[in-house]
Amino acid sequence: MSGGKVLVIGLDCASPGLLFDRFAGDLPNLESLMARGVHGELETCVPPITIPAWLVMFTGLDPGQLGLYGFRHRVERSYDGVWVANSEQISAPTVWDIAGAKGLRCCVVAVPPSYPPYPVNGDLVGCFLTPDGNSRYTYPAGLKVELEENGLSYVPDVKFRVEDKEGLLREIYDMSAGRFDIVDYLLENRAWDLFAFVEIGLDRIHHAFWKYQDPGHHLYRAGNPFEGAVRDYYRFLDERVGGMLERVDDETTVLVVSDHGAKRMKGAFCLNQWLVERGYLKLAGEPEAPTSLDDLEVDWDGTRAWAWGGYYARVFINLKGREPCGVVEPGEYEAFRDGLRSEIEAIKGPDGEDLDNRVWIPSELYEETRGDPPDLMVCLDDLYWRPAGTVGHPSLYLSENDTGPDDAVHDWKGVYIMAGPGVEAGARRDASIYQVAPTVLEALGLDVPAYMKAGLNNTG
Amino acid sequence: MEGKKEEARYTSVSLPTPLFEKIKERIEGTGFTSVSSYVVYVLREVLSKEAEEKSEPFTREDEERVKDRLRALGYLD
Repeated sequence: MSGGKVLVIGLDCASPGLLFDRFAGDLPNLESLMARGVHGELETCVPPITIPAWLVMFTGLDPGQLGLYGFRHRVERSYDGVWVANSEQISAPTVWDIAGAKGLRCCVVAVPPSYPPYPVNGDLVGCFLTPDGNSRYTYPAGLKVELEENGLSYVPDVKFRVEDKEGLLREIYDMSAGRFDIVDYLLENRAWDLFAFVEIGLDRIHHAFWKYQDPGHHLYRAGNPFEGAVRDYYRFLDERVGGMLERVDDETTVLVVSDHGAKRMKGAFCLNQWLVERGYLKLAGEPEAPTSLDDLEVDWDGTRAWAWGGYYARVFINLKGREPCGVVEPGEYEAFRDGLRSEIEAIKGPDGEDLDNRVWIPSELYEETRGDPPDLMVCLDDLYWRPAGTVGHPSLYLSENDTGPDDAVHDWKGVYIMAGPGVEAGARRDASIYQVAPTVLEALGLDVPAYMKAGLNNTG
Repeated sequence: MEGKKEEARYTSVSLPTPLFEKIKERIEGTGFTSVSSYVVYVLREVLSKEAEEKSEPFTREDEERVKDRLRALGYLD
């Protein structure tokens, strides 16, 4: 298997439990691909978040090497300056950079982060970070004009909200269908060697509708009107993937991959509020209602640590000489950090039950730690409990989310399916997200850089 | 899907012959297979640049909109 064309279909957040098991029999196109090739769980990176995970997948580098620890990062160790990851901060070579430099033609559609659009040897459509369909979202810029000439408009993402689920569902379908139409157009009208595409709609579906279909979710109600919403969307994806497969030949290597999986959220744990209670984080006043730390006055001279929430948490230590008002002495830093780590690991559930908390120091995880690594990275109860950053709740434990949807959290296991020339048929074998980039290069007939791991075909 | 897709329609424009020849030379060894495809490419680039409202690709306003979306999705805080 070398020197052929490669099509990568990214289904953001696709879960092995649903795709391989629960919806087995509902997804004929994906299942025939599995029968033709190899499939399994795809273990993602830490953190299991869209950014950096897709870039990890397509560079073969870890988040520390990329200097990407999530969507947002601190501006030069300040307390309030934040930048959101976008394509301009990325210099690591992707598989399409490597392929393009060898003269291979590439189409890249909506692979995060790809806004602002950047040059490739071919065509690129920006990812969901594109502000809206009026933004310049293509490379070359004229591709947008061409798509419009052909009646194709682009909706990069939906505005998420918890009320009006009907409307949200409709918007997710419209967005996804529009992106698949663009993909189909490019598959037909471009000569390409590598085609990489990510559909974000499944992630939005999971976050918005998981609780309606998972009897294990604490907010599940049998017979609710959205019980079939997730299954229907998987069927829709299967049909559109089938449409893409009709547009490629049997000599093309096809990969279906996800950047992380999903599972039910058990609740949210207010990590900053916990830091306040423990005396590590000092506020100028008591908030009366749940409030983001960004909107509160923090007494930095009395603060030793604070956190950012999300699907995982980043804890920052207020280190003297590094932070603007640092208080933890450099000589005490390691002891303080390790002690805090043990305390977070020991956080219990609302009924005093043990939680499977995981706390890492970034240098333990990565080959190097570029950019702005946090001091600790925290996953509560193996990701089931979402760490909330807001302060001012009556309890440390929330059964619903503080800011976002309260349905699904991320999971370590995503999926992959690979079929094509030389790929053994019908095998099931688990793999790692770090194996995707070398697999793509091998299938294209290109040399794999020494820093990458072994490809999927070399695992058996 | 098939019904939605219109047949590609083309029409002719006139280029001065020396310009045509110059373009023909220029695209040799590139991905462009004809003078027409090159001219179409260039015109779309020109049109897209004219349509651009702003030169800065990721303004502060853009970033705030993206942040709002990420917050609503539960990625921030």
